[in-house]
Amino acid sequence: MPRDTTDEVSDEVLLAAYARGEAAAARALTARLVPRALGYAARMLGDRAEAEDVAQEAMLRLWRAAAGWRTGEAQVATWLYRVVTNLCTDRLRARQRRRAETLDDAPEVADASAGVEAGMIEADRMAALDAALAELPERQRQAVVLRHLEGLSNPEIAVVMDIGVEAVESLTARGKRALAAILAGRREELGYDGDEG
Amino acid sequence: MEKQDALDDLFAQARSRPVEPSDALMARVLADALAEQPKAVVARAAPVARGSWLGGLASVFGGFGGLAGVGGAAVAGLVLGFVQPATVTDFADAVLGTDVVASVTLIPSADALLVGE
Repeated sequence: MPRDTTDEVSDEVLLAAYARGEAAAARALTARLVPRALGYAARMLGDRAEAEDVAQEAMLRLWRAAAGWRTGEAQVATWLYRVVTNLCTDRLRARQRRRAETLDDAPEVADASAGVEAGMIEADRMAALDAALAELPERQRQAVVLRHLEGLSNPEIAVVMDIGVEAVESLTARGKRALAAILAGRREELGYDGDEG
Repeated sequence: MEKQDALDDLFAQARSRPVEPSDALMARVLADALAEQPKAVVARAAPVARGSWLGGLASVFGGFGGLAGVGGAAVAGLVLGFVQPATVTDFADAVLGTDVVASVTLIPSADALLVGE
């Protein structure tokens, strides 16, 4: 399959080509899906190295699933987000267990919030967003990141999270409200809004 | 509402700065992909030229060698069916211990074909 035509081809078609042994399809899928898996994992975990491991592991599972993939049964991207979600959940739980065992560990949120104190300039605004996301309950964070940062539709998120569309809407709405409150609270704490701080 | 708008702006800003994977990660993933990839179907030997009915027939029997064998067997069958070589009847006599020729005298013998009576 020539490289310049792969942009118009669906993930499913590329995966079928990969399963037939076409190396170009492997390259196209890697270029297309790794940034998405990595971006989502990084937002969920707040740790670049861990996110890279998760992205690689999720892609490895995709390669292994390719031969038995049944067209029309699942969207490749949705399937991948689901695998990333599960891998991140496992890591977050392991992290919680480690924290419970060693109480003197500094929470990672504190590192990210240092950016807020430095002043809400461009890069720091992103750090503040990541810090605020890290404070959300896990399911709300998943829903908000998938909806507003990864650009998935609510029905797609419902498949990824294995819940109903209404539950997705509820999670994203609550997550957004909580996020806005956290960010507003930070700004007030740091004296960005009004003079009362 | 203002908070939500500010949040939407923040989301838009975050989307415009996607997390870029490192070259090392892309290389690792691609290496996994190629290691796990099912092997491509082995390319067939040079295809038989179109329009060659003999070639097509040969491919049915597994090549020209097979076709020659089938053709030879067919000819041998016809010969054995129409003629009665003396060696066959001699062999039958020896094995069965009876006079086979007497029972097949209506079938012309090979000698009849050769002499052309």
